[in-house]
Amino acid sequence: MNGLRFSLALAAGKCAQFAMRLLGKKATYLPGKLALRICPDFLSRIGKPDLLIGVTGTNGKTTVSNMLCDLLIGFGEDPVSNRLGSNIDAGAASALLEAAGLSGRCRRKVGVLEMDERSAARIFPAVKPNYLVITNLFRDSMRRNAHPEYIASLLDRYIPSETRLILNADDPISSNVAKLNSRVYFGIDPLPFEPPVRENLVVDARLCPICGEPIQYDFRRYNHIGRAHCESCGWVSPRGDYQLISADREAGLMTVLENDVWHDYRMPADAIYNLYNAVAAVAALRTIGYTPEQIAEGMEKLQVVQSRFWQEEIGNWELTEIMAKGLNAVACSRNFDYVANAEGKKAVVLLLDDVFDEKSSSENIAWLYDADFEFLAEEDTVQVLAVGARCLDTRLRLLIAGVPEDRITVVRQAKDAAAAVDLTQCGKVFVLYEVYRQKQAVMVRNAIAERMRKA
Amino acid sequence: MKLEYLYPELGNLFGDGANMRYLRKCIPEAEYIETPLNHEPAFAGDGDVRFVYCGPMTERGQRMALPALRTYAKAMEERIEEGCCFLFTGNSLELVGKSIRTADDTLTGLGIFDLEARQDLNKRYNGFFLGKWDGLEITAFNSRFSHCHPGPGTEGFANVVRGIGLEEGCPFEGVRRKNFLGTYLLGPLLVLNPLLTQKLLETLGAERKEPVFFQEAMEAYTQRKAEFSNRRKKLD
Repeated sequence: MNGLRFSLALAAGKCAQFAMRLLGKKATYLPGKLALRICPDFLSRIGKPDLLIGVTGTNGKTTVSNMLCDLLIGFGEDPVSNRLGSNIDAGAASALLEAAGLSGRCRRKVGVLEMDERSAARIFPAVKPNYLVITNLFRDSMRRNAHPEYIASLLDRYIPSETRLILNADDPISSNVAKLNSRVYFGIDPLPFEPPVRENLVVDARLCPICGEPIQYDFRRYNHIGRAHCESCGWVSPRGDYQLISADREAGLMTVLENDVWHDYRMPADAIYNLYNAVAAVAALRTIGYTPEQIAEGMEKLQVVQSRFWQEEIGNWELTEIMAKGLNAVACSRNFDYVANAEGKKAVVLLLDDVFDEKSSSENIAWLYDADFEFLAEEDTVQVLAVGARCLDTRLRLLIAGVPEDRITVVRQAKDAAAAVDLTQCGKVFVLYEVYRQKQAVMVRNAIAERMRKA
Repeated sequence: MKLEYLYPELGNLFGDGANMRYLRKCIPEAEYIETPLNHEPAFAGDGDVRFVYCGPMTERGQRMALPALRTYAKAMEERIEEGCCFLFTGNSLELVGKSIRTADDTLTGLGIFDLEARQDLNKRYNGFFLGKWDGLEITAFNSRFSHCHPGPGTEGFANVVRGIGLEEGCPFEGVRRKNFLGTYLLGPLLVLNPLLTQKLLETLGAERKEPVFFQEAMEAYTQRKAEFSNRRKKLD
């Protein structure tokens, strides 16, 4: 009976995929959803590639998955992946469905699946990746993720015991999941060009993951990312098996130390979070067995898609648009930090309200008080525009953060944001937007660019 | 006057630290104390502590906070009777109840209130809350794995207008005794409710009669209250 259900799910999923493609759709969610509806254990039954790499974590998993896919393609592989679609169970099912033949066996040797960390229970036991990269664990939407320790407990519970882990040594939370699993670590030494560390409101790893006593940070990069130790039980952050020890921004090279031997790789981008993504990808590929030379050659050709970052110089101004991820305080804080580090006078447009809550509910704005709006209170941030339905909450948050009232502009509708930017006061304008507000952000950005061109 | 933030390393999961940051701005004349885990709470030995805050914590955090706080349960009860203000938000409310039942075991609470908490890590409740307390409308948010069953005679904090109370079907949210407020509501509760904060300032005898940024806070509060009252807006 179960075999029949699986065959039916496979056939229905394949038909749905075919029909949707005819209609010009990506078919990266619904076919998998349909297959799972017909056969709930479809993910367990569908064929997997011989080598399957999972990538999960709060931030960076899409970039790392894409890098791994591109590098593997460069090595002549044809990886099955969900890069064009969903990272929950239906997305994984759709990807595996596409790679499967009519018998359900996988026709590809290698796969890279981005896996939503909150969906661990539904994906990991069924898919059983051979390798799993965990980029980091931060607090994210409280509605979905509760808190990072909860997500870590899910990973602990559902990561298959045979999966080899590739973990961020500089994250005391994610580096301690599934302690019995075989693992390697990646990490980054303090780099000379890093800006001074700002105090964050949120440091989620304050207590020892082993004994629960307070830990001391020897070096803290941001939030709980850094190296720490516990004086009570002796726990220390692990040293990276793949440790980025230097990065030359001018030459565009990063040096990774591995077993006392260093290897140079091309840096795909020089922001610290991109370096974490890059060294995670290197660690994964080395663990699988690719040589440093192969990886270095692959990274020479690697193009990181900068869909989340756009910058242009227009007349006397520099205009920058960055995806900031609403409801995700750490991702927003990283961008506030980036803005604060930019030299010169600047205006910041905040388009951070949750799209779905705006339509049907009322957004839980607690996350605003975990995000470091204090970084925007520095002298050279001459204007902050709180845009959207939650503009009054954002204004209050900015005031509490210490942003003077006369630097805050409240704009209720995105269409009015560009006109409200005071271009006479600043040389740089930043548009920070929530993922699902990209269209709005582009509209605002284009309107600001137009004003800059006409000025 | 002293204001105490109890276990800040544990009790700051959802922007809750903002309650104390806001209060510090509102009462600059007060001394602000942070008491880490396994240190004697200031309220237990210092009569000048007028306000104690404890925020939501992880489930592991609850297991650490309970034994640490148990030694001071009697002192806490005495201070409650003396009229000291306490605000326990999110699941820190459960610490002062009789027990917390988890999937694996049952934790014994401080027993100050007749509450029995049941935790289900597979089921998270999210939603906004609109309630009434002492002539004030309270607006806030819930996000929790557990619910509490109150014993007979338990005095609640706010009557439910929209959202849920201590458990499904319970007409009230949180608990109250004298100036102790315990509530599942979480996040920057005092920022979201300027009138509640105003009342707190009055109770504490603060120099300021209004919270800082009162007008801006009231505008945000008024908008939220209107949204929460709008039946077309879903709770979550």
